[in-house]
Amino acid sequence: MPAIIPSIACNLDADILSASLPLFSEHRVGGIEWSFDALYGIEQVPEWFTELLTAYSNERRLVGHGVYFSIFSGRWSEDQQNWLNELKLLSQKFKFDHISEHFGFMTGKSFHHGAPLSIPYTGSTLRLGRDRLSRIYDACRCPVGLENLAFSYSLDEVKRHGEFLEKLVEPLNGFIILDLHNLYCQVHNFSADFEDLIKLYPLDRVREIHISGGSWEQSVLTGKQVRRDTHDESVPDEVFDLLRKTLSRCPNLKYVVLEQLGDALKTSGSRKAFYSDFIEMESIIAAGSKSRPDTQTNLFSPDYNLVSDQVAEDHDLYLQQRELSGILETSGSYEQAVDRLKLSSLHNSEWDTQNWQPYMLETAMNIAQKWKSTDD
Amino acid sequence: MKLSKALIGAMLIGITIQATG
Repeated sequence: MPAIIPSIACNLDADILSASLPLFSEHRVGGIEWSFDALYGIEQVPEWFTELLTAYSNERRLVGHGVYFSIFSGRWSEDQQNWLNELKLLSQKFKFDHISEHFGFMTGKSFHHGAPLSIPYTGSTLRLGRDRLSRIYDACRCPVGLENLAFSYSLDEVKRHGEFLEKLVEPLNGFIILDLHNLYCQVHNFSADFEDLIKLYPLDRVREIHISGGSWEQSVLTGKQVRRDTHDESVPDEVFDLLRKTLSRCPNLKYVVLEQLGDALKTSGSRKAFYSDFIEMESIIAAGSKSRPDTQTNLFSPDYNLVSDQVAEDHDLYLQQRELSGILETSGSYEQAVDRLKLSSLHNSEWDTQNWQPYMLETAMNIAQKWKSTDD
Repeated sequence: MKLSKALIGAMLIGITIQATG
């Protein structure tokens, strides 16, 4: 069984790279996860960065993690097709060990602005997701996977997430990225038990684990502290504990990735903490590797991949997504958002808006309005 | 994974150029 590879989320960002350089110098970084679609604003990639990617690519230690594809957008866009075309070109240049994307649809109108939010788990969204994943595989020709989403409106949605992820990736024999900080958010936000939640995930499909930090946001409505997956702090001890509990349960785990935003790595203190987090992660991996079951490894290659001539779309879903984005982005208060949802096409539908937790709707508004403000 | 000293050196210079503009 292959060893677990300690890795970092590495992009063309001076602060991330400055924080990571001591780890690279000490030959500790086993793999790098590159958000390949985050280069859209850069005219020329420096030669040394390409050389870094190539070094990991040559050892099959480079994995790609998309940010902007918006798998569940009801309407197919030219931007999504361009994203696939770019991925195809990059996959000819670099040998990705796998490619992954985020679960959800992006709220923003602009392709490169927005936050991923959830969708109803229905036959239609399952068909849509499977179609989009098959197109990603067609472009990259390597294992394809999805990351569990941090944000949920209700505990019921949280409990059904793992099963829906498995249904999505199953036709492609795809994998799952288990983001433990995302699970930590849900454990806290819904007062759930980690052991109860982790059992609901297909852990044999976990090929990659993410660990990161986040932040607390107090609900104006209820006073509750809501945990947000903001990647702007060091890794909490609780998340390291979750890593210890999870490693031995994932027989096909290959990568554990430390994530932190460059904006949060500008000070020497934050860079030292990042270094310490990596060392801690490395030691947990070393200890956990000893107790893993010696089972057959799934290589996550599909038996076949049929790409339909016609891209799957769902016009009603698209209209609901635009309607929801508008409500979240422009409502002046929680009460106004609730009133508008009641009058919308989402009311009494599979979106199950009646059971959304008030403080999570409030959080969704904060997320959408934050991204909207960067869009304007 | 072991990276060459030349690449580490190029990264150091490249990162500094990026950081300072």
